[in-house]
Amino acid sequence: MAIDHDLELMLRVRRGDAASFEELLRRHRLPLVNYFARMLRDQALAEDLAQEVFLRVYRARDRYQPEAKFTTWLYRIATNVALNAIRDRKEGSPRTGLNNEGQESEIETSTIADARPTAEQVLMQAERQRAIRQAVEALPENQRAAVILHKYQDVDYRQIAKILGVSESAVKSLLFRAHESLRGRLEPLLKEGQL
Amino acid sequence: MKCVEREQLFAYVHGMLEAREEGEIRAHVEQCAQCRSAVEEFRKLDAVLDEWQPTEPSPWFDARVRAAVAASEPPPARVFLGFEWGRWLAPALLVVLVVAGSLVVYRSRPQVVSRPTARQEAPKPAAPVPATPVSPVLPGEADELSLYQNLPVLEDYEMLANFDVLSELPKGEKKVAN
Repeated sequence: MAIDHDLELMLRVRRGDAASFEELLRRHRLPLVNYFARMLRDQALAEDLAQEVFLRVYRARDRYQPEAKFTTWLYRIATNVALNAIRDRKEGSPRTGLNNEGQESEIETSTIADARPTAEQVLMQAERQRAIRQAVEALPENQRAAVILHKYQDVDYRQIAKILGVSESAVKSLLFRAHESLRGRLEPLLKEGQL
Repeated sequence: MKCVEREQLFAYVHGMLEAREEGEIRAHVEQCAQCRSAVEEFRKLDAVLDEWQPTEPSPWFDARVRAAVAASEPPPARVFLGFEWGRWLAPALLVVLVVAGSLVVYRSRPQVVSRPTARQEAPKPAAPVPATPVSPVLPGEADELSLYQNLPVLEDYEMLANFDVLSELPKGEKKVAN
């Protein structure tokens, strides 16, 4: 079994090494913030929740047991936090609406602007990203979490099973059904063939 | 060979199969145009999903995490002369207060004259014999004895003997009382 560098860092954090926590923060802040941003479509809330996860990791350092990969543990915490936030929002939290739409389109434009495309390409790609986001967002919570973990967080299906607390075959089925839904919703983009 | 189910093809594309099963499906896909087309569809969908670019966290994200972590920490121990005063001062003060309180309660109890022991009662050969015999005093009798000794009025037995409350009352009232 390959040595899990994150796991070693976490064990050092448990022994009181602040520098190792800094390294964990540096290694996982981008994927974690993006995980929440994709799950919740709200950049500010994504950062709040990612901060909450890092805080929980730090508080749990004394109780941490290296039973699985560090990322399995990290995303189990993150997924619980994300699903709770989605449920809270469904119950009428004010953090939804036009501001989030506006904020996200700004983010999408800014990430594209780094590649220095033409204005037309910027608009087209922003529109495609919006379609992808909406298609993923339309998935049921568990399918959405599984797709984002698998596709964007580079977490394999065995880990996803542990994170979601379901069997490996259930994860395969979740992912397949999610991809079938996405294929239907993104058919226009698939036909265009523009990548 | 019969065509592979789409779910199996999906698992094949995403590396979710055991080596043997993967080999079998690969061999089939190479010969089956329909399954090859399905595999291409899954790969194309993956490529489209890749277009959803990640976003950068705000520049102050790390600082916020550090601040939250620092706020969750207990205050640092104050070490002076190699001793953590902050950690032990409160328990030490508590012990001192308990001991002091116990002493105050103990000392404020009424004084009890203890009965002399047999050893104390034994006459010493060199000591002069007292003029009056010393009677042993019980603890409960001590206060009563001192009270009587300090009341001069009780010593004046003649005055007490002649004192008659009824003699102060009018004659008529005495009759009514009877």
